[in-house]
Amino acid sequence: MDWFSFIVAGIMVYVAVAVFLIGSIYRVIQWRRAPKSTVKQGMFPRAENPFKRTLKLGKDSLLFPQVLDTDRWMWFFVIGMHLAGIGLFFGHLRLLFEITPLYNALGAGGMETLASWVGGAIGISLFIAFTYFLLRRFKSPYRELSVPEDYLLLLLILLLVLLGDHLRLTHPFDLASYRDYMSSLLHFKPAFPTAITFSADKWVLDAHVLTANMLLIYFPFSKLVHAMGGFAGNLLRSE
Amino acid sequence: MVTREEQDLAVKILDEKTNRQLLYYLDICTRCGICKDACHQYVATGDVLYLPASRAQLIRKVFRKYFTIQGKLIPSVVEATAPNDKLLEDLYRASYACTSCRRCMYYCPFSIDTTWFTSIGRAMLVAIGRGATILGELADAAIMKGDNIDMFRDILIDGLKDTEDEFKARVGDPSATIPIGKKGAHSLYVALAGTHTILPMAIIFHQAKADWSLSLFEAANYGYFYGDTARAKKIAQRFVDEAKALGVQELIISECGHAYRVMEFLYEAWAKEKLPFKIRAVVDVMHDYIKEGRIKLKPGSLLEPVTYHDPCQVGRNGGFYEEPRNIVKAVAADYREMTPNREKQWCCGGGGGLVAESEFDTLRQVSGQKKVEQIRKTGAKVLVTPCENCRLQIEMLNEKNNLGIRISSMMDLVVESMDLPGAKPA
Repeated sequence: MDWFSFIVAGIMVYVAVAVFLIGSIYRVIQWRRAPKSTVKQGMFPRAENPFKRTLKLGKDSLLFPQVLDTDRWMWFFVIGMHLAGIGLFFGHLRLLFEITPLYNALGAGGMETLASWVGGAIGISLFIAFTYFLLRRFKSPYRELSVPEDYLLLLLILLLVLLGDHLRLTHPFDLASYRDYMSSLLHFKPAFPTAITFSADKWVLDAHVLTANMLLIYFPFSKLVHAMGGFAGNLLRSE
Repeated sequence: MVTREEQDLAVKILDEKTNRQLLYYLDICTRCGICKDACHQYVATGDVLYLPASRAQLIRKVFRKYFTIQGKLIPSVVEATAPNDKLLEDLYRASYACTSCRRCMYYCPFSIDTTWFTSIGRAMLVAIGRGATILGELADAAIMKGDNIDMFRDILIDGLKDTEDEFKARVGDPSATIPIGKKGAHSLYVALAGTHTILPMAIIFHQAKADWSLSLFEAANYGYFYGDTARAKKIAQRFVDEAKALGVQELIISECGHAYRVMEFLYEAWAKEKLPFKIRAVVDVMHDYIKEGRIKLKPGSLLEPVTYHDPCQVGRNGGFYEEPRNIVKAVAADYREMTPNREKQWCCGGGGGLVAESEFDTLRQVSGQKKVEQIRKTGAKVLVTPCENCRLQIEMLNEKNNLGIRISSMMDLVVESMDLPGAKPA
């Protein structure tokens, strides 16, 4: 592993994961330690019991019915992006562990075909969704409402997705090599296998990991913490 | 020009007002702008400052400047800003123009309560002497009355003589009185300034054989509109102390949305005490009287088409959707619902103290257009609403837009629909 890859795809990964985890936990602690006003903020009609309140929280936080009511295109892309995000998580998890039940059911070839199609669809969906979010920001009144952080964050994510799409879509996916790399990270001995080291995609992988690291590091300080705090906001709604 | 001391004071207020709810709201807003279609002021004017997320963003800019790492390291990227003159001018317009309807909270995917920001904005402006003058003066007048009630008592009682005579005539009972300072009464009724919410309720209480007493104070709370919690608490405390002294079991708030919200949802948090009596909205009390058969209305007695406007503080923020509708439907021969309604109801445009602030008259008129459209679509000739601010605002909209409707309070509707022994004066 050359020194640049060692820093970006090695050392920095640990730093990014640590900042992401510690920063996110710190953010939650910061919220919880702040005194909570005893003013009841709920709106009406209120959920009648804790079960219905939980159901409403789940519906509001995961299905965004208010967005559907207001802006159907936005809802379509938001839902698509979040679903693709879940798929993305499992897709990357496969670089660490095989999803055994699926593997047993489909066989090696079937699993590869599925991963190729689903992974490709996810990558393209994310690119389209984030492009939509970015273009939407150039339109009034979203343009006036946006701050530089909003554009930079979207550009960073778009770059990350594009680099990922390049790795996934431009030629046959070398699963074994990526698994070797992920395994080396897990064993605190970061290294690229030979196939990656001598591949033209090494720099693409470096850039992909670098942008992922940047996103992880910025996450606790950005509006992306809505992934955690959004639930709290929606819980206050039915207080 | 804002001084450094004033900036420091504004930031100090923001620091003091920062709590868990505010931190959530500061951190989780993605500036998606979904709230744009929820705000009647933004929809009517297209002014981005009225977009709920923009109102919140003003507070967020100041918070980031003084209290966040990103605000210190990359201020231009996150638009961290000191409370300069431009920001304070925008904050004034964004905060004091907000009607606190919380329709944006309903539509926000994260349920961000914009009034949390606008009330802090108002508090920051009050602290540096840039609050809405008229609201401050009205709040101070109410506090002055509370501090000198011995001086006002006789004047107030004398002023009720004509109302009491009319009340006796309407209920056909020469011995009937409007009780004031009645120890051990079951309820203390807090009316609005003037007698228009005293006479109808005196009739309703009398016919329902209720054990009540009239408060010497009025329900409206200009301290709340002003954005000064200390003043707002003092204003409410006048009748809280009165209720405690009389030993009542319930405090009934007249047809005033924000006054009910202050007492039911805010006062205990401000005063850090549990009130020894129940807070009731008068519309709920009237509904109970009808349900229990204590007062009888003439079904179908209102022949003209009638519609109902959900005041934001009574409906979305107060929880009374069906009770007022049941009352209207009990007397209406032709009831027509506005669309959207209940929790999605459009604000009339008069809440948050705007009715008292002449500087926002044009905005009130323009931003009421959604309500005008809604009313027109029903074809109703009568509109009923149990909130004074809504009534005044819709009366203005009626006049300016030639809607040709009659606006009625709920209590007037109830009295008109009752069989009373005495005649209504010509």
